[in-house]
Amino acid sequence: MRKFIPGSLLILLPGILLCLLSCTQGSCFEETECYVKASFYDNVTKTLHAPDSLTLYGLNNDSLIYNSTSGVQPALIPLNASTDNCTFVIMLNGITDTIEFRYNSSPHLISKECGYTFYHYLDTVFPIKHHAIKDIFISNYTVTNLNVENIRIFY
Amino acid sequence: MTWSLIQVHAQDTIPIPLKIKVGLEVSGPAIYYSDKNIFNEEGYISVDLDEKRSVVLAAGYLNFKYSQYNYTYLNHGSFVRMGMDFNILKPDKSKGIYWAGIGLRYGLSRFNSETPSFEKDNYWGTVSSSIAQKTNWAHFAELTPGVRAEIFNHFSIGWSISVRMLLYSGTGKDLRPVYFPGFGNGTKTFSAGIGYYLVWNIPYKKINAILKKEAKEDNEDTNPNGTNDTNSTSGNGQQDNSIRH
Repeated sequence: MRKFIPGSLLILLPGILLCLLSCTQGSCFEETECYVKASFYDNVTKTLHAPDSLTLYGLNNDSLIYNSTSGVQPALIPLNASTDNCTFVIMLNGITDTIEFRYNSSPHLISKECGYTFYHYLDTVFPIKHHAIKDIFISNYTVTNLNVENIRIFY
Repeated sequence: MTWSLIQVHAQDTIPIPLKIKVGLEVSGPAIYYSDKNIFNEEGYISVDLDEKRSVVLAAGYLNFKYSQYNYTYLNHGSFVRMGMDFNILKPDKSKGIYWAGIGLRYGLSRFNSETPSFEKDNYWGTVSSSIAQKTNWAHFAELTPGVRAEIFNHFSIGWSISVRMLLYSGTGKDLRPVYFPGFGNGTKTFSAGIGYYLVWNIPYKKINAILKKEAKEDNEDTNPNGTNDTNSTSGNGQQDNSIRH
């Protein structure tokens, strides 16, 4: 037997492998947030057009998601997994609008290291007021942690 | 007139005992000794078909608990693996007591998984939830190279590496099992592991395994013209008999 598999290798190989397997990093390196990815389009030319200034926050939530930020493309909008609808106040180039999302949420395991997140399945998205926003189109109904556009906002 | 040639070789053989092997994996209890969150025990029975091939049936049990800052996960259940082992050692080297080769298995796992609690933070605050216990069946394939050596009479030790491919988790894409019996980390398509085995060998039959001639010896049978001379003497010094009809 020793002629074919050296004795030291018989002992060392499984030990090295065991170490490699047990030394696997336990950190989470994946995206864990599932945002609605909203792209901004010019309503006339129907082409991608980032706003000069974007302010965004959830209705009845004091914290700003974007604060007069320029060149946002796409905007990342967090939905509330504990309810089935969410309303956001959006200011596009100084003009205020309100968008409502209706959706369902369900848990999704990202990985052993990262744990769970919530995927959302969009039902409807519509502007409550049509001040700056002319139309909203849902391009992908499933909101995941992947970098895939979900809605197009025409303004 | 048609001529046919039947060549009869006098071949070297070696007696090889065919065995029923009962193996127990010992690293599972050792790991449990240091980490009470994972208890895995498995064993196998294999039956030699000939000096190269064995059929294998393995079975085991897992009780797994995992907890980190944002979730807790439980899984317990059992599994079976069935397949074949192939010994790559030649009979004169293995002598029925050494084994180095590769195994192919199909695995079936039945388990109960539960997430008693998990939390997710985002802009709107923290959402706490849980996933109720559910029974699932999973399927996987396994490739397992390894070695065994008989160190005492009828008693072997050895190890095997396992590379497994998940075929079906039974849980859908959203709630894949964090860890499940017989496979390991169910969030990945492939998993790897290593097992250390104590094996009890029970001989049940003796066969004469044919020793194939080395390539070098075959070359010696080739005449200077590069063609095989069927009337020449074999490399083992034994006479080949050619019969013409």
